[in-house]
Amino acid sequence: MAMEEMDLLWLLLPIVLIQLALMIFALVDLVKNPNPNGPKWMWALIIVLINIIGPIVYFVVGRRNY
Amino acid sequence: MKQLGVLFQKEWRENLRNYKIFWIPAVFILFGIMEPVTNYFLPQILDSVGNLPDGAVIEIPPPEPAQILAAVLGQYQLIGMLVLILAYMGTIAGERKSGTATLLYVRPLSFTSYFLSKWMIAGLIAIISVWSGLLAAYYYTFLLFEQVDFVKFIQFAATYSVWILLVVSIVLAASAALPNPGFAAAVALAVVFLAQLGDGLLGAYWTVSPVKIPNYAAQWLVDGPVRADFWWALGIALLLIAMAVTFGVWMSRKNAADTKV
Repeated sequence: MAMEEMDLLWLLLPIVLIQLALMIFALVDLVKNPNPNGPKWMWALIIVLINIIGPIVYFVVGRRNY
Repeated sequence: MKQLGVLFQKEWRENLRNYKIFWIPAVFILFGIMEPVTNYFLPQILDSVGNLPDGAVIEIPPPEPAQILAAVLGQYQLIGMLVLILAYMGTIAGERKSGTATLLYVRPLSFTSYFLSKWMIAGLIAIISVWSGLLAAYYYTFLLFEQVDFVKFIQFAATYSVWILLVVSIVLAASAALPNPGFAAAVALAVVFLAQLGDGLLGAYWTVSPVKIPNYAAQWLVDGPVRADFWWALGIALLLIAMAVTFGVWMSRKNAADTKV
């Protein structure tokens, strides 16, 4: 199936959008979180710098789900 | 029944506020999209990182669409399981540990409704995540490769949903039975991954096992599994789910006294 380059870019767009959304959700949650599991600046760096895994790690480990 | 509704609403609101209802499906969709896309770009990726001598030619046969969907399942079996178990390890153990549970336990609470409300919301989110992720993978496989028969896809995703429900039931039962979230996650992970390991090593000796359900799911994409084995495994899995839920209800009642104030 031959694809134009523009079409391929549109295909990749959702990946970028979901990553951004995860990052934003994690950052908003971090800002509102009064008691994260570790220093806030460290979590901010983890969320922004590590693709995909960063926000997940924050949600699982950083936000004390209990 | 009315209590179950109220508790369900409470759980729903909690999962909305801690964003679980958004980020868990997002993770599944992301991994669902990545698999077909990396497969599509594999030649280019090999070209740019492979460090091959000039003029080397690699012929990669285009992968079968069914193989790609099966590979997505492989991702879910590792990362998906990990995310679900870690996200729901604290459902009951964490509530007890932080003291939130006291607010509930002082009321005339039916522990059946209590456990079931948590089980329903965790199962619902897990199934929404898996279906949206697999549908994304299906759509991308269709765009980049070929279409898989939609009926086969439904059978595939429905079969896998049973396995996901089993995993969720195990995590929640562990969370009800054990004193803290980390311990619950460790036990649930050990159970799920050791069962898979055991089935992988010795599974050739038996044909019916609930751990084989993900394999059966992938087989639906081709010709379908041996029907008798499949239905037996499904029945055993449903029985195990019912047992895990019963055990969870019983343990959450028994351990209610351990709540810290």
